[in-house]
Amino acid sequence: MSSFALPTLVRRQRASLKATLIAPPAALAVAIVLNLILYVIMGRDPLAVLHAMILEPFLSWASFSEVLLKTGPLLLIAQGLAIGFRAKVFNIGAEGQFILGAIFASAIPVWFPQATGGWIWPVMLLLGAIGGALWASITAFWRVRLNANEILVSLMLSLVAAQFLYYLLLGPWKDPAGFNFPQSVMFQYDAMVPTLIAGTRLNVSILIALALSIVAWVFMEKSFMGYKLQVGGLAPRAAGYAGFKESRAIWLSLLIGGFAAGLAGAAEVAGPLGQLQRSISTGYGYAAIIVAYLGALHPIGIIISSVVMAVIYIGGDNAMVSANLPIAAVRVFQGSLLLAYLIAVAFVRYRLEWPHKARPATTGSTT
Amino acid sequence: MTNITRRTLMKAAAATGLAGALGGRMAFAADEPLGIALVVPSPIGDVGWGHALAAGLEPIKAAYGDKVKVTILENIAEGPDADRIMNKTVADGNKVLIAGSFGYQNGALQIARRDPSVTVLHASGFQVAPNFSPFAAKYFQGTYLLGMAAAALSKTGKLGSVSAFAIPELITSINAFTLGAQTVNPNIEVSVVWVNSWFDPAKEQEAAKALIAQQCDVIFSNAQDTPSVISACEEAGVYAFNLNSSMKKYAEKTYLGCVSTDWSPFFKASVDAHLAGSFKGANAFLGVADKVVEVVDWNPAIPAETMTKIKEAEAKIADGSFSPFTGPIAKADGSEGVAAGATLADADIIAMDWHVKGVATPLPK
Repeated sequence: MSSFALPTLVRRQRASLKATLIAPPAALAVAIVLNLILYVIMGRDPLAVLHAMILEPFLSWASFSEVLLKTGPLLLIAQGLAIGFRAKVFNIGAEGQFILGAIFASAIPVWFPQATGGWIWPVMLLLGAIGGALWASITAFWRVRLNANEILVSLMLSLVAAQFLYYLLLGPWKDPAGFNFPQSVMFQYDAMVPTLIAGTRLNVSILIALALSIVAWVFMEKSFMGYKLQVGGLAPRAAGYAGFKESRAIWLSLLIGGFAAGLAGAAEVAGPLGQLQRSISTGYGYAAIIVAYLGALHPIGIIISSVVMAVIYIGGDNAMVSANLPIAAVRVFQGSLLLAYLIAVAFVRYRLEWPHKARPATTGSTT
Repeated sequence: MTNITRRTLMKAAAATGLAGALGGRMAFAADEPLGIALVVPSPIGDVGWGHALAAGLEPIKAAYGDKVKVTILENIAEGPDADRIMNKTVADGNKVLIAGSFGYQNGALQIARRDPSVTVLHASGFQVAPNFSPFAAKYFQGTYLLGMAAAALSKTGKLGSVSAFAIPELITSINAFTLGAQTVNPNIEVSVVWVNSWFDPAKEQEAAKALIAQQCDVIFSNAQDTPSVISACEEAGVYAFNLNSSMKKYAEKTYLGCVSTDWSPFFKASVDAHLAGSFKGANAFLGVADKVVEVVDWNPAIPAETMTKIKEAEAKIADGSFSPFTGPIAKADGSEGVAAGATLADADIIAMDWHVKGVATPLPK
């Protein structure tokens, strides 16, 4: 215990709406300024980087369609996860559920490469969603049965899912004409989700994601089941006294999360990929966790945060190509933005109390 | 091979009058620099595959100066992001795209089909289009020679290989390595660990240690981008060699040699052809004779007598009078791979999906 004391964080009585709304743009501004300084030190033209990162994604249909393409899986997964997070069921394994969704969806073109008809892609999406939900059900089962921590089980199952994918691609599902490379056959035309705007890769799945976002909003805000989930998350004991079963909340949360992630995985293989391969996900399942929290776990907030996240991804890639920025600097930008946002959110909910103001009773945590 | 390719290029260009049709483009190219973009899945770093590709562009920069602008994009995972990034490079005005990994094939091919004014060079693939050339190195010519050295130095008669993916390019490297070793010790045995990744240093090192534990005393680091395997072998006192660029500084004592690749002759020829409007997609399978493959940094511990034999074989490979895949060669399952006296054609080598007898580990099915 030294005489020098750091200020402490004290929870605000209530977070002001103004501060809540200012926090995200403030975080963005801070991150931009910090990174601009970094680019100047690195000897890059900061304005060129900024242009490539923040503006270019919006400057043409071609690049904005790529933003929306990237938004699709993030939005779907984050909506599913947020429902669970509000019920305090922490499904961290969306990555694995995404992979299983991709695998289930690929079963049709892999086993029936000659099949034709408009039914194929909707059935693939449905199969993918079921696959994701089935994978999540393993976590739910052990959580309910043995009280096994769902964070660990779902996370570990993601690693298992990746290995299962590698097994299929190196073994039974390997493209016989693919020179032993671990990838499936290219899907037939009818196994691809229809394109939304000709000449781009944007497909119908973004509309599905938006429609399901509305469903998520109705479910969480208007339905009794959604209310029960929220109560279970906010006040588990009160939920128990009210007769809301915890096991049901766990099952529902994980199945919804798995369903959405599986659907996203199916849309990815049946969309921009067109085949099952090893690198089907660039960490969508994990990025979606950030998206869900950036969107304050609210269906409308998540729509915005998923677009922001997609812009960061696409803009980062642009900056690499156009502004000669190394990939590490791009990741620093992405990381610092999230960090700035989390700090901003902390200040919305808490305020700093300097030691000289602190009453003796509350200084216990200063060391 | 390059010679033949170049000659065919000229003929084709003359025959189709392509050069005339593309005159406008040449004028355009004179105004602003020719954009060349290289996309690779791993870090460029100081050694390895990506490094060798990037180094292959240096002579072009030196030769053309301001007339070319080279953009290098590293760490680009194969998949939809790579497709977008390649699209973006072309949208930004790059006219020569070097897609530095097999997994970029479909995306790169689409770009080539959409925009005939773009020239695409694609690593390790099998698709060919008028403006799309797959390129691969005849690593097997070098690994054959290193197999001879490995067998001469091995005390246990067991050799190992840490290998990335079971694609033909890597399979042929292991096969030739085994065949070369068999010329010195007919009973040599080669074990392979497939790590199924282009870049996973921890797993690669584990695989090397596992092979050493099985008494393999010369290890072939087959397509690793870091000295993971090489340094693990130096620690264990086991000889090791690798492909693409020399890693001697990471294993001063036990570095057996490097099957190095110099892509600059191929890149230069392709860029020249692009600028002349005479580029024509063709399978570029390049080896010692094309000055693309060369074994460097031979370990002085290799017995002089073996070294003499190696140099003889190298000279014969260079002048085309000998191929490592000359029969009789038996497959690992005992059936006939190459008939006595016959030599495998390039097309068959590019598509090889079987191991020769002597490779103990079965190919992943």
